[in-house]
Amino acid sequence: MDPLIVAQTLNFAYAVISLLLVVLGLAVTLGWLGVMNLAHGEFVMLGAYVAVVTERMGWPFWAAIPLTILFCIVLGIVVERLLIRPLYSRPFDLLLATWGLSILIRKIVEAAFGGGYISLTVPVKGSLDILGASYPTYRILIMAFTVALLAMLLAWYFRSSAAARVKAMVGNPMLAQAVGIDTNALARNTFVVGTCLAGLAGVIIAPVTSVNPFLGLDYVINAFFVIIVGGLGSVLGLFAGSGIIGGLDSFVSAILDRTSAFFLVLLIAIFFLWLRPRGLFARN
Amino acid sequence: MTKRTKSLNLSRRQFVLASGGAAAALASPAFIRDLKAADEFKIAAFIALTGPASLFGPTQKACAELAVEQINAAGGINGREVKLIIADGGVAPGEAAKTAVRLMLRDKVDFFAGSHDSAVRQALVATFKGKTPYVYTPIYEGGECAPNTYVVADTPAQQIGTAIPWLYKKHGLKDCYLVGNDYVWPRVLNEHTKKAVAAAGGSIVGEEYVPLGAPNKFEEIVTRIKAKNPSFVMVTVIGAYNVVFNQTFASFGLDENITRLSALLEENTLLGIGKDNAKGLYGCMSYFESVASPDSEAFKKAYLAKMGDKAPQLSLIGTDIYAGINFAAEVTKKAGSTDAAAVAKAAVDLPFKSAVGTWVMRSNRHVDKTMYMGDASSGKLEVVETFKDVASGETCK
Amino acid sequence: MVYSRAIDILLIVAVLAVPTVLGDLWAYNLSLVYLYAIATLGVGLCWGQAGFLPLGQGMFLGLAAYMSGLGLIHVAGGVWGWLLVVPVVIVPGVLAFVIGLLIFRGRTESGPFFALITLAMTLLAFQIATAWNSVTGGFNGLRNIPDLAGMSDFTDRYYIAGVALILAVAFCMWLIEAPIGVVWRALSQNERRIAFFGYSTATLKAAAFGAAGLLAGFAGFLYAPQQNLVTPTLAGFVVSANLVIWAAVGGRGSAIGPALGAVLVGVLSTELRDGGGFGGGLDALWDFLARFWEAVVAGFFIIVVLFLPNGIAGLFAKLNASLKRLGRLPFRPILAPPVRTEGAAGPPALALSGCRVAAGEVRILNGLTLRLDRAAIYCLIGPNGAGKTSTFNTLSTELRMQEGEIRLDGEVISGAAADTLAAKGIGRKFQIPSVFPNLTIADNLHVALWGTRARLVSLLRPSLRRWDTPLLATLRERFPFLAQRDRIAGDLSHGERQVLELAMALAAEPRLLLLDEPCAGLSHEDTRQVIDAILWAREELGLTVLLIEHDMSLVREIADHVFVMHQGALLAEGDVAAVQADDKVREVYVGMAS
Repeated sequence: MDPLIVAQTLNFAYAVISLLLVVLGLAVTLGWLGVMNLAHGEFVMLGAYVAVVTERMGWPFWAAIPLTILFCIVLGIVVERLLIRPLYSRPFDLLLATWGLSILIRKIVEAAFGGGYISLTVPVKGSLDILGASYPTYRILIMAFTVALLAMLLAWYFRSSAAARVKAMVGNPMLAQAVGIDTNALARNTFVVGTCLAGLAGVIIAPVTSVNPFLGLDYVINAFFVIIVGGLGSVLGLFAGSGIIGGLDSFVSAILDRTSAFFLVLLIAIFFLWLRPRGLFARN
Repeated sequence: MTKRTKSLNLSRRQFVLASGGAAAALASPAFIRDLKAADEFKIAAFIALTGPASLFGPTQKACAELAVEQINAAGGINGREVKLIIADGGVAPGEAAKTAVRLMLRDKVDFFAGSHDSAVRQALVATFKGKTPYVYTPIYEGGECAPNTYVVADTPAQQIGTAIPWLYKKHGLKDCYLVGNDYVWPRVLNEHTKKAVAAAGGSIVGEEYVPLGAPNKFEEIVTRIKAKNPSFVMVTVIGAYNVVFNQTFASFGLDENITRLSALLEENTLLGIGKDNAKGLYGCMSYFESVASPDSEAFKKAYLAKMGDKAPQLSLIGTDIYAGINFAAEVTKKAGSTDAAAVAKAAVDLPFKSAVGTWVMRSNRHVDKTMYMGDASSGKLEVVETFKDVASGETCK
Repeated sequence: MVYSRAIDILLIVAVLAVPTVLGDLWAYNLSLVYLYAIATLGVGLCWGQAGFLPLGQGMFLGLAAYMSGLGLIHVAGGVWGWLLVVPVVIVPGVLAFVIGLLIFRGRTESGPFFALITLAMTLLAFQIATAWNSVTGGFNGLRNIPDLAGMSDFTDRYYIAGVALILAVAFCMWLIEAPIGVVWRALSQNERRIAFFGYSTATLKAAAFGAAGLLAGFAGFLYAPQQNLVTPTLAGFVVSANLVIWAAVGGRGSAIGPALGAVLVGVLSTELRDGGGFGGGLDALWDFLARFWEAVVAGFFIIVVLFLPNGIAGLFAKLNASLKRLGRLPFRPILAPPVRTEGAAGPPALALSGCRVAAGEVRILNGLTLRLDRAAIYCLIGPNGAGKTSTFNTLSTELRMQEGEIRLDGEVISGAAADTLAAKGIGRKFQIPSVFPNLTIADNLHVALWGTRARLVSLLRPSLRRWDTPLLATLRERFPFLAQRDRIAGDLSHGERQVLELAMALAAEPRLLLLDEPCAGLSHEDTRQVIDAILWAREELGLTVLLIEHDMSLVREIADHVFVMHQGALLAEGDVAAVQADDKVREVYVGMAS
């Protein structure tokens, strides 16, 4: 098979899967809690900086994963308590407050690390030969990691009792509280999970991107489009959204050019938002 | 704002007395103090304090301050002490214009210098209306001919006109692929590139633009380049796009056989790209930290003495404003005032100090300068070729 | 009236006095801020009044600025340039209205989705502005825009911007205090409910969006000649986000609030950013602020969002309200015009045939067939879960029918929107009292009055706030608390709210009134009064009532005809005695006291 086609197909898969990885945290906070967290991109960026700190301390790259989870747990608890919980009933104000938070986080990181671009060594160098096309190994790893992570999360989502409690809370908060589910703690934990997933994504993609305080802005808007186009709160929606937004961008970039792709993605997002404002596969 | 040491105080007074300045200088100390304050020569420098280029802010500020300190140590401008005012050029053009008006009206700034993007430059030029002289310093697409506006910045003719023929000859290059962000500067650079490539006997096999704001990933473009297999890629993406493009390029293995020239490759961007991804990567600018000349060593020494251990990374964006402020000082000294006609006359063929040596302002209000070819493959930009006195190629009257 | 107008006059004087009092520089800085304030007012109308958040106001501002700039360069400059204000203001306004209609039509409570569509549009607008080099000048912008006549120096520009701002604020005040403002506020509190009064919510929201577009157009028209340069960033996301932030900080619910926020934060940002030069030990602080002023502003507005949900203007809201009450003129009512209903006169003939509604496995309605054709009181009874409220919901298309048909006077109305039903004379009162909690009693009743009597355009006339009907007068006699016009509906007791909602439903003078347990939670006396009112209204208006009720003693007292539902279908029907004697009914109601 023509290596160009193989390579572009792999690019397509990478585009969709890497977007899914970054959006995962937002799927949890927006899809389940209904929190429009405009600081989601900054949580991803913080994860990338944890990877930077890990490298500067001389530790192996993979050590950044547990570190970022620890860091995000603390961050998630603090942000949820101070900013999110008081504003659950005022969604637009919450949106604004998270935008303010994103500015603050950017500036704090800039003050601490400077505004420059930081390069990380790719943990696994080289390329793999796939059907005649040579593709960077680390990107293949990113895809594999994301698929594994998704499989774990799906298993948890469809099997565990904690997931059932979350679904109950999301479906009918008052009833959930009435049957003794601690909705406050559950909401907080859900938000923390979303934060951790965001930070984790940041660690994993840090070696293939330019680590700087504006990293988050790159992802946040597309992330919102993915969730809204795909539909809030459903797994199928997450796949559909990533497939459409990420896949369309990749496909049109491969066939035509980046400008057309960018325009098309915006137009499709507008189109979907207009015709199917609840998204394709919303949780009903 | 500049800080002055006690010793400067003394030397300034001595200088004023010795040069027999205004008769009033011989009067009582109090009068001298008033005269000094009222008589400060104010230079306002617009630099990137916020916004996407804010990573350059610290070095721009340091270079600007260094220039002013050195000018004051040498006696100021026409006996007047120079005061530096820092303004934010990283804001929206309308906001920058507001700041400029405040500086003109309230602070009565004598000379403006700016290291920022072209949109802000246009807003400032529209605000100044030629009333106050203004020197524009970073790298740009050419074409600024407004009255009382002087350009120290690298032009496409200077970058491309030198780099392409040299690279083509050195590496025996043939076909060329163009990748840039979608706005005026990359497009102008590409026009120059097409001419230079044709003159060198090569051809263009691809031309792509990435909109500003589009997602920062290049897998599809890099794969297309790989399929076309050119010998040379002209890279005119900027900032974070420049970093990610070059990283992706190398991770797909294209750095083995393909030479790259990046138009905005300075030290900070190279830090982001990383040594592993810089094989066959070149930059061509009028300043690199590694330039080895007596002037550049002296500059570096002074810079490190001033900033110490935590000195912000030196780069063209930063040293440009050093040169610009020095130009402002020299031209005002020669003209005797900041009157537009006097400055215009004094500016022709005027030499002034830059961070790498002497530059000369020409009658087209641009500078012919020495350009340096930087090889990035070691992880630092090492100068591998020097091109002396390259014309700016601008046709301002 | 007089007192709050006095404050307005003070503010106008303050605005006009700035150049003399504060000097040229302040005047210059504020000129640009005022234009942003005008655009922010638009955000306030959409968000603070109609309850939806536009994240793309910058798009209209940019469009207008480019139109203005291009017009001044290529078409007309100087004095004739002023004529451009007409197209430059109208085009964004109309465009916004059309976009609003397209987006809002057919869906309620599109909340965050609308915000995101406008966000996507603004990103698109930025891209178009950057890419369309030949027209817009691309990334570097449209330059060398000539001045308008009379805009040559800083003070002139200031006065023009200041007067423009005053006009814009006056425009907003007019809209907010007009009937349309009341309706917008009702819509933002309970969109579902207001549709039942006959309002096309899509058109209303689109109107708010269009008004915001007009304001953005006005600001953009002045922006181009004032700045002499238009760049794509004006149409982009950051400007739009800033406008929203300023509206939030200033107080989106009032006319002045958004403008106040824009001025405050705009001035604060400039001072923090340019504040250096004071010398002394504060140098380090100013250096820090020059780089991190955005963080300070962000922190500031997070605090405002958290602790001042009504913004800074909200701090003065109580004062404002008291002032308004102080100077209020007495209420002089006007007789409202009659209800405009389509369709036949006389008692409505409602026929449901074979209606089936299912949600997954659960059969909600299972082949329901019933007919009403007299001006009588019909009662719908049945055990819990029989599908009574679901029948009402199916009628008003909140539940989708899989099978079956609903006809009114022979015309098919299955799937009709709530406002269409209202126009045909069907009114509804909900089980849980759904009044508009932040509006006064008078405004609640007015919303009910206007729905089926006023065209959208008439909602701009202030005289509508004086409408009254003899029916309402009688209801005020029966229920004296309704005369307390200025009481906030949210402060009423449960019983009072039930009565208020009933009064609203009756005020619309429907032909068929759907009542869902109107006496739920009422005391004995209150129930008595409500029943009397319903009986009286039936006589007075020739009303047909379809009433869901659990209390059999009430049913016995007022029902002319009873439908008994069971498991989504009609079990039996007839007058009360017949139904009570029916064996099937007895079987189902085993255990119910008679």
